[in-house]
Amino acid sequence: MPLEISADAVGGSPGFSPFAPWRHRLSLLLVASTLALIFVGGLVTSTGSGLSVPDWPLSYGRVMPPMVGGVFYEHGHRMVASFVGFLTLVLAVWTARCETRAGVRRLAWLALAAVIAQGVLGGLTVLFLLPTPISVTHACLAQAFFCITIALAYLTSREWLSSTGTRDDVVGVRGAAVAATAAAFGQLVLGAVMRHIGAGLAVPDFPRMYGRWIPPAEVLAQLPVAVHLAHRGGAVIVLAFVLRLALRATRDGDARLARPAQLALALVFVQIALGALTVITEKAVLPTTAHVATGAAILGLCWFATLRTRRHRHAAVSAPAVAGLGDPAVS
Amino acid sequence: MFMRKTLAVVALAVPLALVACGGEKQEAPAAAPATTQTAAPGVAAGGAAAKGSASIGGKISFAGTAPAPEKIKVSADPYCQKEHKDGLERKVVDVKDGGLKDVFVYVKSGVTGTYPPPTEAVELDQTGCMYKPHIVALQVGQPLKIKNDDETLHNIHPRPAVNQEFNVGQARKGMEVTKTFDKKEVMIPVGCDVHPWMRSFISVLDHPFFAVTDEDGKYEIKGLPAGEYEVEAVHEKLKSQMGKITVKDGEKATLDLSYKG
Ligand SMILES: [Cu+2]
Repeated sequence: MPLEISADAVGGSPGFSPFAPWRHRLSLLLVASTLALIFVGGLVTSTGSGLSVPDWPLSYGRVMPPMVGGVFYEHGHRMVASFVGFLTLVLAVWTARCETRAGVRRLAWLALAAVIAQGVLGGLTVLFLLPTPISVTHACLAQAFFCITIALAYLTSREWLSSTGTRDDVVGVRGAAVAATAAAFGQLVLGAVMRHIGAGLAVPDFPRMYGRWIPPAEVLAQLPVAVHLAHRGGAVIVLAFVLRLALRATRDGDARLARPAQLALALVFVQIALGALTVITEKAVLPTTAHVATGAAILGLCWFATLRTRRHRHAAVSAPAVAGLGDPAVS
Repeated sequence: MFMRKTLAVVALAVPLALVACGGEKQEAPAAAPATTQTAAPGVAAGGAAAKGSASIGGKISFAGTAPAPEKIKVSADPYCQKEHKDGLERKVVDVKDGGLKDVFVYVKSGVTGTYPPPTEAVELDQTGCMYKPHIVALQVGQPLKIKNDDETLHNIHPRPAVNQEFNVGQARKGMEVTKTFDKKEVMIPVGCDVHPWMRSFISVLDHPFFAVTDEDGKYEIKGLPAGEYEVEAVHEKLKSQMGKITVKDGEKATLDLSYKG
């Protein structure tokens, strides 16, 4: 589950924290780079290049091997990951030195710990030849890390700093946002398991399943088929939860919540199309990888909406401040 | 482009990552995951069974239309592209005058006694971004010398079912690594994850009675003691074929097997 942030622990406290524009911009860059990294990491699996560099942390004994064939994807992933790790390190140290809120400092350290753990997990996938549990954990930690970066960006935004915390969930937007976030994360876990046990084509047709609308019972007994069908079923559940979130947020009339929720809903439709394309094209690299990154974007938007329900709508929030924050997952 | 720009950052970040992870440069290609350097059972058992004077030979044929050769794009590596200017074609089912090439033919049952592995290595060469030979066969415990004859890098990554999986990199031309397999296993797929089209198969047996068909589909298994044997022909794509044959000392028996397309 993505980290649950208590408004009181990090923002609602009386301690004054000034807006730090450059640190906030760095956190936005980290969000964008992390989403890009998820895409690049997805490319490694989609192109089957995960073991094209057999050693770690060096690549063929070097910092910079020739970027040929599968090495382009695997070493490219390592390079972008190093960049994200570097950004996280800078942000963590900067936050530790300049941030007045202890909760935010802790979160920045947590981000650093997560990115290091993620790098080590990536190394272990290489050294132990892609064992499924490590690959799946690597995929899921990526999503959790993405959520941490979004939280860091929002907690340092002008919007957060100029508003007050709230625990009210009068129209149920927060409940819907939490549920949608949980559903999206669960679906990403299922997707990661399906991908790394190689069950992406365990059901070879779409929208029907083995030529039927209700799949034959005997195929359901096979684990890859069961995981694959759970992921298709999960899509329906995510759609339902994100739709509920979008409807409630829209009815509530708060654009801060309605916009990310509506965008998430639009992306769910794109995502279902990409999932179908993945099956129809027999896992062509681009739709498959875009499917991974879009999943992350949906999770990020739902999580972002969840965080926003923690703040009071604030009349003083000026339009430029909101524009300056942007929707982190849309980059 | 973006990656090139990040190079400098990476140069900074890599030492940082090393400090943070407490890692060292532990993974030079030469020191890659444990090789299976165990002695072969045949050696440990001592006394070798005498070689016989019988042999089995014949032709493995393929009837029907072979699938069209696969066209392979090698542009992902400029060196491979240079080696195959007109592109690369892979004939998974390689038929000439009805004879099927690259079939692994071996005695599946009927062999008695132990046959210690030869000490001389079997070679698997990476040349022109291809494996040579395509079908490799050796005995349990016999060294397999894997060479890189290309001016590019390769990783050698067999995916066995019962032997130990490994993944070794060879960054430069002239690099060599020697491996052994400690269990018998037929047609272990070997691949390079840098160049996904590279594919070869290694078969490991506990006796020397095996052969690979040549371009005419012919094979010969020599030095067999007299006896009754079960022979299996294995192809990377087609279903295995079995045959039974009895041979006498000094005799050359013929066993032809055939695949249908
Ligand atoms: Cu290669």
